[in-house]
Amino acid sequence: MNKRDHEIVFKHTGYRREDFSVCLGCKICASVCTVNDLTLNVNPQELLMKLFVGEKIEEDHPLVRYCTSCYRCTAACPWQIRIPEVVRAVKESLGMESRFEKAFKRSLDIWGRVYEPFVVAMTALDLLKGGYIKYMPKWMGYAGFHLPHKVKRLKPSNASKGSNPSEEGRS
Amino acid sequence: MMEYGYYPGCSLTGSAKRLDQGVRQLCKKLGHSLTEIPDWNCCGALEYGDRNELVSISGENLEKARGMCKEIVVPCPACYKNLKDADPDRSFNILSPLELLSTGNLSQIEQKRDLKGQVFFPYYGCLLMRPEENSIKNRNIMEDVISVFGGDVDGEKMKDRCCGGNQLFLNKWATEKLSTLILGKTKGTVVVFCPFCHMAMQTFAVGRKVIYLTDLLLYVMGENKSL
Ligand code: SF4
Ligand code: SF4
Repeated sequence: MNKRDHEIVFKHTGYRREDFSVCLGCKICASVCTVNDLTLNVNPQELLMKLFVGEKIEEDHPLVRYCTSCYRCTAACPWQIRIPEVVRAVKESLGMESRFEKAFKRSLDIWGRVYEPFVVAMTALDLLKGGYIKYMPKWMGYAGFHLPHKVKRLKPSNASKGSNPSEEGRS
Repeated sequence: MMEYGYYPGCSLTGSAKRLDQGVRQLCKKLGHSLTEIPDWNCCGALEYGDRNELVSISGENLEKARGMCKEIVVPCPACYKNLKDADPDRSFNILSPLELLSTGNLSQIEQKRDLKGQVFFPYYGCLLMRPEENSIKNRNIMEDVISVFGGDVDGEKMKDRCCGGNQLFLNKWATEKLSTLILGKTKGTVVVFCPFCHMAMQTFAVGRKVIYLTDLLLYVMGENKSL
């Protein structure tokens, strides 16, 4: 993660670098973080500090990999900092999209909605290799046949895809 | 009696069809009418790292609803959060179906069965409760519903913990661990309102039923044959 990646994170979240200077280091976020229930010992504040001082964030940082977007940290933080959104922006800046996430976005581009059978088809190999087949009996209630429905979009669906953050004006 | 706009969201057209049908049936019983926002599109769920992109995708639905309705019923908690985030001025009233319920209007419901002798764990999960500015207003409504009809409530401390549902297809061991933790500290039928929670709980619960609150209400009203 280089300097440009940091800029992307700020741009994506709408936070400015100085917004993180209010962080008191109280670590209340760490005391409630769901990732710590996985015994991975993380401190969300450390991630904010890395962004504040411009330090590199690694792809295999447990918070980057396992943050569940539960917003427990946000609810507990005196500044209500939306840390999961920072994490999601970090993931995106590092190009860490899984095949599942790619299929989701692709579906949205094609139909304007997520068509689950398409996502399942696109990720079938992962589901097979990942050992998800054993859950199929429990998932029968989720199955049902419906055709995809293409909706009208007000804006071209991948409008923001082609935009390059470095080309746009930054204040 | 109210007329609402309705935003089902993608999962309610597929894997969470049951919630969609439940909400529609329940609203009919309560005398409310739901009109789908024409050509509604996906809210973006939790898949976008760019907040501006997410808000723009979600916000498109509000554009499509403009002039048609001010009050929009949004059952899926992820959609509910995103649509609220896309409307910082609160020019719409984005409502979870849970917010259409109150102890007042529950007593008007024609009750055909009760829940006596049964234990339930009302489980809200994350996005109905957090971030706080987006949270539902009646944060005990599922407990109230269960109690009004004579059921016993368990698991107060775990009701807003995270099931890890959005890691299910990325790191399923994490979802398994988080869901199992919640299940281990609670007892009774798991009552949810979120499609993610339903799937995570359903996948990892052993010998426990997982139902939507709508299933429970329709059972009490004599619609569904069993829980
Ligand atoms: S949103 Fe992410 S960082 Fe915040 S408490 Fe939950 S898992 Fe931890
Ligand atoms: S809770 Fe907020 S202020 Fe405290 S350490 Fe975490 S991010 Fe910083």
